[in-house]
Amino acid sequence: MEPSEVEFLGEKKMVSIVPHFSSGIIHLISGPVGPFRANLPVKVPIWLALNLKQQQKCRILAQDWMDTENLNELIEKEKGEKLFTEMPSDHFMDEAQMLLTAGADDIPDVDNIRTAVKDIWDLRNAKLRSSVIAFVKNQGSTYAKLDHLTAMEINSIRSLLPETLNVMLQIEESGKSSTSTESQQFSSTLDTTHSQNQS
Amino acid sequence: MFCRDAVKLVAELNQTEDIKPFNEAVFRQVLEEVQSLFEENSKDVNTITEDNTAPKNTLLVRHYAMNRNKRCLLTYLFHRMRRLRQARWELGSIIPPEISKNLIKPEAQWFHNYNKSLATYMRTIGEDGLNILNDIQPPKSLYIEVRCIQDYGRLEFDGQSVMLKKNTYHLLPRSECESLIRQGYLEHVSS
Amino acid sequence: MDVSNDSNGLDNSAFENGGLNDAEAEFESDEEELTSDKALQVLESAWLNEKFAPELLPHQQLLVECMVQQIKHMEENVQRLTKGDIRINIHTMEICRIRFIISSYLRKRLDKIEEFAVHLLKEDARRSPDEKYMTTAEAQFARDYLTNIEKLFETVALQHMPQRCANFDLDAISMEPNLKKHVFARANKDIPTILISGVHEMEVSFAKGSQHIIQYSAIAHLVKDGSVQLI
Repeated sequence: MEPSEVEFLGEKKMVSIVPHFSSGIIHLISGPVGPFRANLPVKVPIWLALNLKQQQKCRILAQDWMDTENLNELIEKEKGEKLFTEMPSDHFMDEAQMLLTAGADDIPDVDNIRTAVKDIWDLRNAKLRSSVIAFVKNQGSTYAKLDHLTAMEINSIRSLLPETLNVMLQIEESGKSSTSTESQQFSSTLDTTHSQNQS
Repeated sequence: MFCRDAVKLVAELNQTEDIKPFNEAVFRQVLEEVQSLFEENSKDVNTITEDNTAPKNTLLVRHYAMNRNKRCLLTYLFHRMRRLRQARWELGSIIPPEISKNLIKPEAQWFHNYNKSLATYMRTIGEDGLNILNDIQPPKSLYIEVRCIQDYGRLEFDGQSVMLKKNTYHLLPRSECESLIRQGYLEHVSS
Repeated sequence: MDVSNDSNGLDNSAFENGGLNDAEAEFESDEEELTSDKALQVLESAWLNEKFAPELLPHQQLLVECMVQQIKHMEENVQRLTKGDIRINIHTMEICRIRFIISSYLRKRLDKIEEFAVHLLKEDARRSPDEKYMTTAEAQFARDYLTNIEKLFETVALQHMPQRCANFDLDAISMEPNLKKHVFARANKDIPTILISGVHEMEVSFAKGSQHIIQYSAIAHLVKDGSVQLI
């Protein structure tokens, strides 16, 4: 999946805005939003917040967790635990990225928040890398529980881990059954011109 | 050696992701090899007797060589077809000249037929049909900033019109830009 | 299920003619009522499941038709708004988002249909009409796809070969999905036992909301009945 598609899903999360306009309830296909009263905070999906912000029709408010003190606590917790800790949102990274960019002039202390978010990402990324390596080396199984991994983190290992496990399983199974797959049909020629070429 | 030309065709596919000019010369040579293998086999098949089964192995080798040639020919066609199909999805229903000049007639015919069956399918979605090859990227904002990197001419949309000349910048509805970006007329300027 | 129009369409009062009753798409009657926001959620999970499952999943034609119709009505409603109305942009943006999901979903299906055409046609031939995985239009597309390949092969190669080796069996290009591929999944409810077969035979359980990486074959049936969401 493209990172832009992870963001697309993250854009469904709600965020508070302060609109510069008034309007009654707007009935979206995905559910009602509003009513909007100028200067009164209201919750809307992020995609809508970004859209209104682009038209300068609202101010974006920080999410509850977008506060350096709170984020620093998360950092300490993440450092202290061997396993992944629960993030305030399963779209933590992309949500932060989108809101901090679009709402840079609305959200107080935005630079420090950005730094803290980046620190958390780095910490978890290192953890993710070492646990993936440990998991693959362990070889006992190709199943794992992935609690508290956020959408962007899962997506970051999507291109590598599943494929690695597919191959591992294939090798192990061919070792077990040891039946030759020599008699592959035309379809495999179509699928693997590479091996054709080298033969 | 048998099948040397056939392997050349398959190897050619690996050299580039593009659709290169159809290699008619080599393709024909492979067909000729198949023909001559077949003729030799037809001739030798009668020489097998109960006392002399030796030609059987020769026949078998030729038979495998024929099959391998055939596989390579079809593999060549199949992969060119898949690339053409990819081009249809990415570039639209009109093949750009740099691709169409490399096709043989039956391939162009294939493209035409594929287009037709795709259109038939897309017409069945909803009451008025839906072009599912339009919305490739998740929508970010309705308008995006683009730079024109190749003269295109006048673009009309929603009752507006804009002249797309090389090196000019525009704020355009995303829906109008997507295919022009893929065709290389525009590039997305990220803010 | 019925699609109610409670949360659908624009604010009624804004239009001389609400026209919202048209937007009510009748589904085969089922007990539960499906609001447009619920329908959208179901479509979105179908899209993600289709994106990540190695095999083609049963089609969701009614759902797709319902959402396409919702979009259409919304577009019509938007046209009736006066220029400068803030809602124009908002609704248009949402329409774009939904159209992206529908298109991406159907594209992914066509992708698999081309790849596994022979296999899928055979499988569907065994299923009863309302259990087929492909819609009528998709099955037609699959058949056309194969016919066009045969035609290409025949014209360029096979007809120039000696008759005895000019046969071609579509089975030769038939590929089947690898169901042992690993996928990411989230449990929509508690699932006490899931059996992973093969070399690492084991039994696992999913707690509601938990996430896993697992062989698709172990959870294929759970994806199809909605207990598990691919992510």
